[in-house]
Amino acid sequence: MLPMKDAREKSGLDAVIEAYKKDVDVTLIRENLRLSVDQRFEQLMKLQEFAEDLRRAGRKARSQQ
Amino acid sequence: MTDFKALLRLLAENQVDFIIVGGAAATAHGSARLTFDLDIVYSRDSENIVRIVNALRPIQPYLRGAPPGLPFDWSTETVKKGLNFTLVTTLGPLDLLGEIAGGGSYQQLIGETIEVEVAGVECRCLNLERLIKVKRAAGRPKDLEVIAELEQILDESQQDLGKE
Repeated sequence: MLPMKDAREKSGLDAVIEAYKKDVDVTLIRENLRLSVDQRFEQLMKLQEFAEDLRRAGRKARSQQ
Repeated sequence: MTDFKALLRLLAENQVDFIIVGGAAATAHGSARLTFDLDIVYSRDSENIVRIVNALRPIQPYLRGAPPGLPFDWSTETVKKGLNFTLVTTLGPLDLLGEIAGGGSYQQLIGETIEVEVAGVECRCLNLERLIKVKRAAGRPKDLEVIAELEQILDESQQDLGKE
């Protein structure tokens, strides 16, 4: 059995996780589960590249203000 | 950008004993979240340390966040003296972990891994159930959203299995 404090923390943690679950986009998960592991990494790397492009664009826009 | 596939190929082709953990493991399981570094748990046995050191030498590992010019000797002695290394390499950031919170060492985790094929090589990846347990044990606030997604993936995977 968990000590009282640990049990309280665990149930608090579970409540937060359950709250987050409501906002998880299950359609994205389903799309990803259709891909091979290799394709999932390919997608991650494209996403990183896109994020980097956005950062660069943001920096450029700020420097022009 | 982190070349996850090249990093994994490099490790696998050099026969390094390692397990993909962290955000990259979440990606392997179907997570849609963005992660920037490759986290691996490596076996601390002497021969494996030699293989890691030789495998990574060409990609110039250096301590991430360390001031430029700080002497850092990438050698078997360095890896043997340390445990967890947060590195930057020419292929991107790489976290070499001798142990992880809530998970332990390579030997403790290897029984709870799956084999995945990435970039034409076979790698061991922490299984989804264990990944969730590790994230829960770490108890970091930033992981709570990740855990929520991983648990949804687990539900979806189990529903798919039920349909088969």
